[in-house]
Amino acid sequence: MNAAIAPTVEPTAARRTSRSARHRPAWRRGAALAGLVVLGVWIVIALTLPWWSPHGPRDVVGPRLRPPGRHAWMGTDALGRDVLIRTLWGARTSLPVAVIVIAGAVLLGCLIGAVAGAAGGLTDAVLMRLVDITMAFPPVLLAMAITASRGPGIGNALMAMVLVWWPIYARLLRSQIVAVRHREFVESATAVGASPLLTLRRYILPMSFTPVLVNASMDLGQVVMLTAALSFIGLGARPPSPEWGAMITEGATNFYQWWIALCPGLAIVTVVLACNFVGDALRDTFDVRDTFE
Amino acid sequence: MDPTRETVMIRELARTSSSARRRPRRGLGLVAVAGALATVVGVAPAAARQAQADTLVIDRGMDINSLDPARAYCDTCQIFMTAVYETLVGLAPDNTTLVPRLATSWESNAAQTTFTFHLDPKATFADGKPVTSADVKFSWERLKGLAGSASYMVSTIQAIDASDPHTVVVTLTQPNSAFLAQTNGSYLGIVEQSVAAANGATADPTTDKAEPWFLAHSAGSGPFVLESYEPGNELRFRRNDAYWGTKPAFAEVVIKETPQAVTQRQQLEQGEADIAMQLSADVASGMAGPDVSVQKVPSYNFVYLALSPGAAGGEGLTPQVRQAIRLALDYHGLVDVTVGGAGRPQASPIPNGFAGTDGLAEPTQDVAKAKELLSAAGVTNLTLDATFPSLNVYGVDFSTAMQKVQADLQAVGITLKLNPVEISVWADKIGKDGIPVTMLYFAPDFTDSSQYVQYFGLTTGSQWQSWSKAPANTQEADQLSKAFAEPDPARRAAVYHQLATMMIDDQVIIPVVNPDLFLAARSDIQGMHYSVCCNLDLARLSRG
Repeated sequence: MNAAIAPTVEPTAARRTSRSARHRPAWRRGAALAGLVVLGVWIVIALTLPWWSPHGPRDVVGPRLRPPGRHAWMGTDALGRDVLIRTLWGARTSLPVAVIVIAGAVLLGCLIGAVAGAAGGLTDAVLMRLVDITMAFPPVLLAMAITASRGPGIGNALMAMVLVWWPIYARLLRSQIVAVRHREFVESATAVGASPLLTLRRYILPMSFTPVLVNASMDLGQVVMLTAALSFIGLGARPPSPEWGAMITEGATNFYQWWIALCPGLAIVTVVLACNFVGDALRDTFDVRDTFE
Repeated sequence: MDPTRETVMIRELARTSSSARRRPRRGLGLVAVAGALATVVGVAPAAARQAQADTLVIDRGMDINSLDPARAYCDTCQIFMTAVYETLVGLAPDNTTLVPRLATSWESNAAQTTFTFHLDPKATFADGKPVTSADVKFSWERLKGLAGSASYMVSTIQAIDASDPHTVVVTLTQPNSAFLAQTNGSYLGIVEQSVAAANGATADPTTDKAEPWFLAHSAGSGPFVLESYEPGNELRFRRNDAYWGTKPAFAEVVIKETPQAVTQRQQLEQGEADIAMQLSADVASGMAGPDVSVQKVPSYNFVYLALSPGAAGGEGLTPQVRQAIRLALDYHGLVDVTVGGAGRPQASPIPNGFAGTDGLAEPTQDVAKAKELLSAAGVTNLTLDATFPSLNVYGVDFSTAMQKVQADLQAVGITLKLNPVEISVWADKIGKDGIPVTMLYFAPDFTDSSQYVQYFGLTTGSQWQSWSKAPANTQEADQLSKAFAEPDPARRAAVYHQLATMMIDDQVIIPVVNPDLFLAARSDIQGMHYSVCCNLDLARLSRG
């Protein structure tokens, strides 16, 4: 019975997807591939670095402030540590933080969005006003305020970023639920006696998750950037952590040693661009714009 | 130059041009307009250049805690106090010889318990009223009564006799041969009693309400007066046109809040600033060219590591552990890492060059002995909180320095949890629970070594005895009294030498680096000079 209802929807989505993918320009397919490769390389580096890194991120490898050369490909910092190696180790902080923040924000946001969308009425109004209030604050300022009030540190920065990011997902999921809950297949399920929870789980949520996933993939890069921003102003990672934002702070102090900030800066750029390319590709693949419209 | 002044000037000239246009003959009117425009074009830049020449711009990261003379205590405060409030005794450029300032002469009794100062009858405040002994009595009693950080310099004053308006007789609670040196400390500047009292100044912290007033006004006799202060932006001085001494060359001095050494260098090179005061060795190293001059001078400033056995979480800092920490540090490595080698290690909390430091052995690293001490003390896997202010002072980036300390201590099995915080957060924490391991800096207040014993020694109630919550060292208090009672400089230096050794043995204050100072200025600035008591004397500066 339930299985008979679902297929009436899925083929339509599949047809839209394939048509959209077919019309995507070649350069965008290339960008998506490049994004995937870059992101994949960073993930492999983050996972395998301890097994092949020639030295640790805190090891002194030579004289301080040495420019890039054979001894250290991207030079050394004020303590004589290898800037390239520290940048690579930085991926083991920035990437997991980004994934955890997005996972936390998606979980919290979707839970609240689902409750608001499914319950409607006063519950919906109250929860959405909470979303409005949270989103009224500039995200960076709100994250700074929360981190500063709880004390600097990557753990508090992580929590602050979850609290900044969840409203986006709450609003997104709630709008998806509101859009599909009056569709025929949902009403059919209700008519044949499916409980509200079952209806939500089996017929509404699967239809609503695609935009959330696409948004999450694009937000990943933004979280990497916000993590770096918080560390840059001293609210994120503590020294001597090789976090990219903290390394850029060291680069600002040693301004004339350009290589200190360049390397982590490039790392941030590559990760953010890769996330955007992959997010674009996912959006094109799932044709989310149609859904948003 | 001041942009508002330029605007006013152009408006004046514009008025001239409009009156010219009202003349009856059109041709002449046009000529007049053209002439007026030419005047605007030609004169305004000339006036701008004049205004620029009369204004001195200094780039500095300001650490101002207050502009109230009885509360101010910071490096920038020394510059402010010297410019606005004069002391009785000054310090010659050799940083050793005491010279007359508000007092023309002085004498003390043989026991060093009574000091008499004869005030210069010509000395007047900025409003023209004479400087009297009553003002001196009011200023010093208020400094002592409000018990601010600089009050230790007047802690031995028992009574001040101001019966003669031009003679100040100070009676001390104990002999104090350092008292004359203390009086050249910028914090002992004299405030005009009638003005300050009218604005709520008293010697009682419960009734004194003058601090907000002092943030916008001044009441001194110095060569400059306070024009305005915007925290986080700028401190502006105006020349005291009624100054009783030699008037300063600059009509206006602006200290611009510029915490980054890199920005200081760029603004100096671009001509937007005349002086950059806090360049690090790395930043100063690439500076060259005909427009800028850089002087590297040895300083008496230093950055130190402080161990607080009485702080919450500092229980593990037993004397053996503290000694092990002292032995674990790579001092020359620290000098290299923090100031690129432009400095030197310092043996004791009394800086190199002050009385009592001759012959003190330079601290050295001995990792094996440090490990041995820790092993003998049964200490393994000791972890300590190292909260420190997120600062860059004298070219030393505290974060970099603490990471080096962390690496050195890790090598002997001690883990530091580094926690850089804003200075206000740091001050709050150290005042309450204390901090087991931290880092801070110190610049001299005056020319005698006693200040270091009073601030860093474990004499009861000293700043670091209070912060570290370490048991008081009564021997240090006895030795300090002995030094105070000793009029002979050589014998007093010998006592300070003993005190320096005692403070080394306390293992509470471990100096990390005594950095050189880089004084960078535009080539036409003359009179750049580092003063022990006063940092930078603005009245000596001029544009050549």
